[in-house]
Amino acid sequence: MNNHVEEKPVTNIKRRDNHEGPKYHFITYAVSMVLTFLAFIAVLNETLNKNFVVFLILAMAVVQVVLQLAYWMHMKDRGHFYAITGLIVGTFVMFTCVIMAVYWVWW
Amino acid sequence: MSHASHEGENKIMHQPEKATLEGRNKVLGFWLFLGGETVLFGTLFATFIALRGESNGVLAKDLFDMTLVAIATFILLTSSLTSVLATQALHRGNAKQMINWLIVTVILGFSFLGLEIYEFYHYVHLGHTFSSSPFGSSFYALVGFHGAHVALGVAWITILIVQGMRKGITTYTAPKFYVAGLYWHFIDVVWVFIFTVVYLMGEVGF
Repeated sequence: MNNHVEEKPVTNIKRRDNHEGPKYHFITYAVSMVLTFLAFIAVLNETLNKNFVVFLILAMAVVQVVLQLAYWMHMKDRGHFYAITGLIVGTFVMFTCVIMAVYWVWW
Repeated sequence: MSHASHEGENKIMHQPEKATLEGRNKVLGFWLFLGGETVLFGTLFATFIALRGESNGVLAKDLFDMTLVAIATFILLTSSLTSVLATQALHRGNAKQMINWLIVTVILGFSFLGLEIYEFYHYVHLGHTFSSSPFGSSFYALVGFHGAHVALGVAWITILIVQGMRKGITTYTAPKFYVAGLYWHFIDVVWVFIFTVVYLMGEVGF
């Protein structure tokens, strides 16, 4: 009985830790390439609105980075609570720095 | 009982970097280091964003060679893929394949560095130097610091390749390969923001 209950998480770990093969890594690579390519196209196209282009390329950068963090750096896998917390805190400090520096110099 | 031994076996086979407490601590410690690196690059990005308008005549739009930047981006993105393939070989326990992918990663890293050195050399000849303007100072500090990270990563992974050839994949060496892979991905992640904020936004003239 007891044994049976305990074995459940093991099969769970097996399912998530046994790697599915490189499929998702190649998909991440393809998506990153496409987003990078689109960012270059958007910038070299002079007819688009500047604010829109900047918003678009920043959004595409964030999407690309989230994909790479989740798949290439395995953040989607179990046991990454502290990793995620660490990066979120780092990102928070980063945004504070950017806003402060810009505010300091220009207002 | 069977639970513990099963899990242990599973970890050694599929995630050797997390098979020992030391290994798990190394991975966790490395993530905290990456959190600190985020702050470090955050301050450099903040400085660049605040000062990039002060350029003394040399404009980002006229300066940057977008073809070169596109090639560099392609190289670094590909090297991030080869480094994840190395980590996959690590999880399969295939030392030979892992080392081959790491060698490809190092070669791509060197190509990126070569391009960056050429790029800096080219800009200096156009009058864009570290001390020519606040734009120059913050540009070289940010992009140069990223380049220094690439150089460190190339040296580190080269040493790991030698160790991998001598010792193979063990519960002692596995965390090193895994953590080096994380470092290399992080370099690519930072580059995604550098090419977006520094080069593309510079080209747009935002």
